Amino acid sequence: MRVKLEHRLEQRWWHSAITPLAAVIAALVVGAVFLRIQGFEPLAVYRALFRASFTSVYGITDSLAIATPLVVTGLAAGVAFRMNLFNIGAEGQLYAGAIIGSWAGIALAPHLPGPLAIAAVLILSAVGGMLWAVPMAVFKAYFGTSEIITSLMLTFVALFLMRYLIFGSASFWRDPSSTNFPQGKKIDAAGELPLFGEYRTGWGLVVVVLVAIVVWVIVRFTSAGYDMNVVGSSPKAARYAGISTKRVMMMALLLSGALGGLAGGVEVAGRAHALDPNGLELGFGFTGIVVAALARYNPFGIVLVAVFLGGLRNAGAALQSMAGERVPVEVSLMLQGAILLFAIGAEIFVRNRLRIVRAAVATR
Amino acid sequence: MQPGQDGLGAGIDSSRGIALAARGVTKRFPGVVATENVDFELRHGEVHTLLGENGAGKSTLAAMLCGLYQPDEGQILRDGRPVRLRSPRDGLAIGIGMVYQHFRLVDRFTVAENVVLGDPDQPAVLRRVQIEDRVAEIGERFGLPVDPRALISELTVGQRQRVEIVKVLYRGADVLLLDEPTAVLTPHEADTLFDTVRAMTAEGKAVVFISHKLGEVMAVSDRVTVMRAGRVVGQVATRDTTARHLAEMMVGRPVEVETRRGAGAGAPAIEVSDLRLVDGGRTLLDGIDLTVHAGEVLGIAGVAGNGQRELAELIAGIVTPTAGSVRIRGTEVSGGGAGAARRCGLAFVPEDRLGTGLVPGLSLTDNMLLTRPRSFFVDRRAARTEMAAAIDAFEVKTPGTESLARVLSGGNAQKVLLARELARLGTEGGPQVIIVSSPTRGLDVAAAEFVRGLLHDARMRGGAVLIISEDLDEVRSLSDRIAVLYRGRVALEGPTDALSVHDIGLAMAGVTAALDEAMPASGGGC
Amino acid sequence: MNNSAIVLTLAASVVAAVPIALAAFGELLSERSGVLNLGVEGMMLIGAVCAFQAGNSTGNLWLALFVGAVAGAALSLVHAVLTITMRASQIVSGLSLTIFGTGLATFVGKSIEGVPLETDFRPSAWGPLADLPVVGPVLFDQDPMVYVTIVLGVLIGWYLNHTRAGLAVRAVGESPATADSMGIGVARVRYLHVVAGGFLAGAAGAYLVLGQVPSWSQDGTTSGLGWIAVALVVFASWKPLRVLVGAFLFGFSRQLNFYLQGRGVDVPAEFLSMMPYLLTIIVLVVWGSRDLRRRVGAPAALGLPYVRDER
Repeated sequence: MRVKLEHRLEQRWWHSAITPLAAVIAALVVGAVFLRIQGFEPLAVYRALFRASFTSVYGITDSLAIATPLVVTGLAAGVAFRMNLFNIGAEGQLYAGAIIGSWAGIALAPHLPGPLAIAAVLILSAVGGMLWAVPMAVFKAYFGTSEIITSLMLTFVALFLMRYLIFGSASFWRDPSSTNFPQGKKIDAAGELPLFGEYRTGWGLVVVVLVAIVVWVIVRFTSAGYDMNVVGSSPKAARYAGISTKRVMMMALLLSGALGGLAGGVEVAGRAHALDPNGLELGFGFTGIVVAALARYNPFGIVLVAVFLGGLRNAGAALQSMAGERVPVEVSLMLQGAILLFAIGAEIFVRNRLRIVRAAVATR
Repeated sequence: MQPGQDGLGAGIDSSRGIALAARGVTKRFPGVVATENVDFELRHGEVHTLLGENGAGKSTLAAMLCGLYQPDEGQILRDGRPVRLRSPRDGLAIGIGMVYQHFRLVDRFTVAENVVLGDPDQPAVLRRVQIEDRVAEIGERFGLPVDPRALISELTVGQRQRVEIVKVLYRGADVLLLDEPTAVLTPHEADTLFDTVRAMTAEGKAVVFISHKLGEVMAVSDRVTVMRAGRVVGQVATRDTTARHLAEMMVGRPVEVETRRGAGAGAPAIEVSDLRLVDGGRTLLDGIDLTVHAGEVLGIAGVAGNGQRELAELIAGIVTPTAGSVRIRGTEVSGGGAGAARRCGLAFVPEDRLGTGLVPGLSLTDNMLLTRPRSFFVDRRAARTEMAAAIDAFEVKTPGTESLARVLSGGNAQKVLLARELARLGTEGGPQVIIVSSPTRGLDVAAAEFVRGLLHDARMRGGAVLIISEDLDEVRSLSDRIAVLYRGRVALEGPTDALSVHDIGLAMAGVTAALDEAMPASGGGC
Repeated sequence: MNNSAIVLTLAASVVAAVPIALAAFGELLSERSGVLNLGVEGMMLIGAVCAFQAGNSTGNLWLALFVGAVAGAALSLVHAVLTITMRASQIVSGLSLTIFGTGLATFVGKSIEGVPLETDFRPSAWGPLADLPVVGPVLFDQDPMVYVTIVLGVLIGWYLNHTRAGLAVRAVGESPATADSMGIGVARVRYLHVVAGGFLAGAAGAYLVLGQVPSWSQDGTTSGLGWIAVALVVFASWKPLRVLVGAFLFGFSRQLNFYLQGRGVDVPAEFLSMMPYLLTIIVLVVWGSRDLRRRVGAPAALGLPYVRDER
């Protein structure tokens, strides 16, 4: 007797909805085990987590503020991953975008009228991320070098570059008045994305949702997006149909890099308002991978998952101040990873069904 | 069963025992009966050929004899005793070894490493020198010279085959099954192989030789069992028969299909001149000159692997030729990629439907878009309408236009692909030239007739059609002219109605005029 | 002269090479059987945290190392189940493993941040050999794990090239269909080597806290070493002895920072810190191109799930 996996002939709509849900529940159970081992009360932690992020207006808007860059990094991972191109360096592209974006915010924004100043910061940050992705895209398309490792290594390089600009030198980006604790120079107020009243979320959210819609339109309705689908699904069929796989790969990786860079722009214009060297602790680029995978690379799914994970992250701070026990912020990191692993496992059951076969079949 | 009772023809030493036999074996695969109630026997020291066209069931029978497949009915006997072989390993354990058509070798291993891979009798720490000596010794004994320390990737195809044979001999097999061994060999290499076969039988080893090439069958075997459509149609001693007789047994009567011919040829649509393709040192196509005119169907006949696929990919622009030119409707397209050929009005139905012709992960509607002209936005609505019409016309079994191509069965995938490429063929603004591989393979009778009708209509509208198929009946029923490919060259070309099935069959089997003349019974003057 | 900056830098490079080499050996075993595991970083972090805890609670160095290794192996088992049995994408599964491992390690490690480790690997001199110029401090005055690593490199090479089991591993990584048809259990071989790979990655992480910096911090402990190990396997053409050499090179590029600063060379520290990462990219572009990969020895079936072809 053995267990056999068979392709499902049809996929029902609820299959794709139930996977992330099941994965979240399973991950919460596993998370509970680890919480218990560390001496915390899982149910209390989860309850506090939910309450902190999703039950008050401040909680929800704070969650949305964190979700904002996650939407774009999720899109960055999504457009590449769906083609089996694994740009995992959105984090580095985010830094590169932040560097160029903050330059625009300091140097250009004062000379531009309102909306144009913001547009300059955002567009140039996307250009920065795209430029940072050029080595990865070119090496991948023309030499077949693994984009996974190139993009990740470039992330570390970008991190050190950013540290150099703020800590290691009296660069253009450094606030000259901050000598003991070096900080980035503030961008001009004209380049800032306005917030909604007294809340921490603002027009950045609108921008990223619009970007998600644009990405959806590109992927779904344009010939460029169609070519990306074909190359991702079957490079051989693409070649037979006369589609240049190299060109399409480059295009997808550069788009992915631009989205990563835009995340940096959204951070600079919307929240940080300066080049922020403690970037890696945010890890938005890496979380984008989780967002995209859970949303199964669907742009609107990415928005939803980003909000959910934004809430998870936002709750971290609240957890630390829980009466009696101080739960580390990192619980949300662990939960993210577990959710992702379970989602991959569950994916198999969406695409296949298990059949138990008695005795070996005659054909081997 | 006692030896000598079967009373077969003279020249077979019937005193030798039967090494391996099949009794009434039947093997079914979903939708097909691969072999039906087949009897077969092999004596010690004998070369026994299994002859038949592709799909006749020879390889399936061999697979059951070596343990790769298990028969659904009937039994396999080894030295007169029934045996149950669950895997090729079981077969090897009782001295039955198969040399597959597709080699089972690890490219980056040495010869010696491949020979002992998975051998349960090896010690935990390999004794390299000992193994290499024994490999060399076996090679010498059977005329299989091969350097035990050479990497497989450095060997020619012929040398790789020797390694496969050594591998089987190393484990002590005395029954060898060779599945179309000469398909990949040059004539000289084939001669060397025949010497090896003789050296093996001289030591009392028995050989099952699978082939559809009449010349070599006549040269190497003691007996021939002919199969057709999963059944044994006859068994003869080689010295009592002729190549011509075997050809007739193998091909059988041609099935009657409605034949259609074109009204007359127009301007050249595909012009191939002196086309040559060399890949990895092997010449796959050599000196091909072909022309397909508007309003004409040219059929390419031949046994698989004689350059048909390469020819199609060259014309379609997917592969760049080593030399020569391809012009479609007057424009040179070679080297321009598939896009260049399509822009000149070429449609292409490749032999591998899912994965090259269709994109498995996209919906049927999206697959319809694959070879449509591009604009900034895709016109999914038009594609959906076209797809829905095609589903109706071809009776494609699918939940709808939005289901994934991946879930289509082989026949249905074929219909969808044909629908996409054929729908606008020969119409204003649509493609004017089409290459189709095996247009009706896997289709039911009605659908096949429907496809033939579409191809015929396209021709009547002035389209140029190139059909590539191993099914001679299919080629003959539609083509105005036929060209036979053999080893990358055009072996025979002419108007369909002027070529006899017999001539085409011989050309496909590589029987040259010289060999044919040497056979007293075969007259070349049809 | 044995106290000169360059000799001390070389000796420190050897120590820095140990975790990179161990992790790369693990990845090499896994990849040679055809399974790419991008979870090295995650497995190293888990190994480091668990070894730290075990080290402080038992005080036994070797037991701590073993606990770290087992933790890495446990995590790699998840990857094995997902990719071998469930045929999930090796890339996606490996990435998730790193994300999960990082998250879990940071969470578990929160309570030990800033706590010093009570026990660690100490160098022991080989008598008079340690006094030899240059080679003395570099090779004969190191902690035991340095020697374990070197021996392991030789052993893995011997195992892969001279044993029946090693032959089977290589066959599974090169051509699982061939291996299967020759009666080798493809899934069994892959499971064993993925888990062995996790074991070594866990040990590598353990050594980071037990042998290098006896404290735990999330971004300081590995800082991308796991990824460098993955790249190193490519650089070393999947050959264990070349891994040793490559690991030393990478170790040296990490130490160069301190050396140059010590000599007062005026290169910004941040640029020196970029070195190993840039080196990795250059190495990959030069050694890792598609055509060259085939020639230098990438297992042909690397990254591909194996499904037996049933007609």
